[in-house]
Amino acid sequence: MRHFLLFFLVVSLTASARASGTVRVVAKDPSGTPVADAVAYVLAIDAPAPVRPPADPVAIIQKDQEFLPYVTAVVVGTRVSFPNKDTVQHHVYSVSPAKKFEIPLYIGESSATILFDHPGPVTLGCNIHDWMVAYIYVLATPYFAKTGTDGAADITGLPPGRYRLELWHPRLAAKVGREITIEGTADSTQVVSVTLRPDRRIRRAPDSEGLGYK
Amino acid sequence: MPQFRRYGTRLLLLFAGVVAAAQFADYLLVTRANRRNAVDRIHENLVKGAGLFARRVDARLQELSGRAALMSDDYSIRQLFLKDQPDPATVRSALRSYSVRMGVPFMTLISPEGVRIGDTGGPLPEAALKPFQDLVQVAAAAEDPKATGFARLPQASPDGKLYALLVVPIYAPKPEIVAWIGLAMPIDQRFALELKSDAQVEVTFYYGASESMLPVESTLGLGATPQTETPLGDSAVVTVLVAGEPYVTAYRPLLPLVTPGRAAIALQRSLRAELAPSLPLERFLLILLIASLIAAALVAAVLARNLSRPLRSLAEHTRVIASGDYATRLDLNRADEIGQLAAAFNRMSDGLAERDRVRDLLDKNVSPEVAAQLMKDGGALGGEEREVTVLFVDLRSFTRLSESLPPREVLILLNRYFDRMSGIVEIYHGIVDKYIGDAIMAIFGAPVTQPGHADNAILAALEMQSALARLNAELATEGRAKLSFGIGINTSRIIAGNIGSSRRLNYSVVGDGVNVAARLQDLTRMSQFKADILVSASTLKAARGSYRVRDLGAAPVRGRDEPVEVFAVEGPA
Ligand SMILES: [Cu+2]
Repeated sequence: MRHFLLFFLVVSLTASARASGTVRVVAKDPSGTPVADAVAYVLAIDAPAPVRPPADPVAIIQKDQEFLPYVTAVVVGTRVSFPNKDTVQHHVYSVSPAKKFEIPLYIGESSATILFDHPGPVTLGCNIHDWMVAYIYVLATPYFAKTGTDGAADITGLPPGRYRLELWHPRLAAKVGREITIEGTADSTQVVSVTLRPDRRIRRAPDSEGLGYK
Repeated sequence: MPQFRRYGTRLLLLFAGVVAAAQFADYLLVTRANRRNAVDRIHENLVKGAGLFARRVDARLQELSGRAALMSDDYSIRQLFLKDQPDPATVRSALRSYSVRMGVPFMTLISPEGVRIGDTGGPLPEAALKPFQDLVQVAAAAEDPKATGFARLPQASPDGKLYALLVVPIYAPKPEIVAWIGLAMPIDQRFALELKSDAQVEVTFYYGASESMLPVESTLGLGATPQTETPLGDSAVVTVLVAGEPYVTAYRPLLPLVTPGRAAIALQRSLRAELAPSLPLERFLLILLIASLIAAALVAAVLARNLSRPLRSLAEHTRVIASGDYATRLDLNRADEIGQLAAAFNRMSDGLAERDRVRDLLDKNVSPEVAAQLMKDGGALGGEEREVTVLFVDLRSFTRLSESLPPREVLILLNRYFDRMSGIVEIYHGIVDKYIGDAIMAIFGAPVTQPGHADNAILAALEMQSALARLNAELATEGRAKLSFGIGINTSRIIAGNIGSSRRLNYSVVGDGVNVAARLQDLTRMSQFKADILVSASTLKAARGSYRVRDLGAAPVRGRDEPVEVFAVEGPA
């Protein structure tokens, strides 16, 4: 089956003058189902918006032989730690162009943190467990948010001006984006339709835990 | 005789022809059925072979695909992608190591963008890239991201080989495709031989840049296998000569072919080998055909002889009959139609003999002229009016004489007299119409017309007179009484023809003139006339010769109103 991008937008916005605005982005697939784990972000068109990476590393844990969370959005320069909460060892790696790394077999709190210094998607895998997969989306903009199960994400603190709104998802079939304008403190809601590729993640057998792997 | 011989030949040809046709048709039907069965059996095998080939390629690719999936999840291969720029030599050596593990001669690694990351090297790399790139595109668009296809590599090279290609993804981790593995599995002689041993069919792989394809691998030997231009299709089964031997051949295209041109697998089986078990039967039928032909010829020859010999006998017999021999009988001793024909011949001989006897009897009983006339007319009733001269001669006082003699003596004397008189009638071309007691009625001018019938009658009468005188002289020496007669002659138009019933006929004459002649004869008894021969005026008138006559004047005639003028004839003038 092929997936075509069906792209439409419903813009309903009320504008008012304030110091900073918020954009609520709602991601839905063509059938109207909310799309979770999508990274919504805006790129400033008029003036550059510098990013300030957080001082502490962002953690992506491994628990029950899964990465948590599934999608993590960070700004360029962020360090990420990979604490292992399992009793088995993991071997985290990425061969993505944005960041290639591996943390050889380890258990517990690895001292190693990885610096993500290039924007772009990074796919995380584990050399031991084929089904383990997670994504880090490295952004060059400070304005971003991740959609929840309701498909909504609020991007806050936006100074007035023109922006390019974009959306990323691990299974995104085609790029989506549009230009928006923030005027004062007015909130706007952007409903973005995204078409996703079929979910091809490896399904674990539900009782694989109970077969004696401790 | 040649006709009979030809008849026999015809019969022979007919017999032999019918038998030959039947046997030959039989032979043809059997051989054709054998051939068709053989072709059908082969076809079945070829279809099975084609199925086996497809399954084998499929299974092998499936197996390779599974191995490639294992390989792609391998930790060590991911190590290659951890480097920003993978070391080409390392990639090559790693791929070579994998290709040995998987048992394929060639392996390549292609980025999701279609760029070659590395390969196992060898004769293929540069030329082999394009078909793999094409397959990557197909695989990327497929739901299950992999693709297979046939290819000729290197494409343009004359020593290129056929391969089955496979492209599978490398995940890091699934579902993220970081690269594609391309594998090439040779469709080579070994593959063909394996297929041959399993499917019991000859296998040839064909490739052609255009419509015409050349064999590239063959279990029959490349030299023997001809090139082909056969259009490829599921039903394409043809008989092809391989080194002079017919092979039933099915062509199946190798699809999809990702390199240009056409490729096919030809599955073949020898028709001769397939027919071998049915050959003894066919040979037996052929012998049977010849044997029955000979038998038919013999039977026909005997039959022809059997038929032509009696026919020849019949023909021979007709000649015997034609020569006048009616006594010989044909005895063929057969109950069939020919026997009936012989019997008919014999009956015909009987009939002919009977006719001959009748003719003989006829000749004795009637004058030859009448007999001839009767034979000619076939004894039909009929009549014609014509002028004739009728002569009556009657013995005088014979009744008295006959009383003094025994009956036998009478008959002998009468016959002696009749014999002389009848002879004279015949001499003068008359006929004795009948004997009436001791009288003779003779006719001149019938049934054969003669111009001088009146003269003949008169001359006959005069001759009879002399003959009677001679007979009387003889009788005198024998001491017997002498005879005397009277003759009446009349010429008139009367009716002549066969008179009587259809069962019994007499040639005779009727009419008034006959009575007149009889009456004249009666008148000779009149003593005052002193004449033995009396003729009417009409006879004298009809006569051309001249005679010494005495006019006796008119005499009345019974049953006649007018009297007849009577003359006595006394002798020739
Ligand atoms: Cu793991």
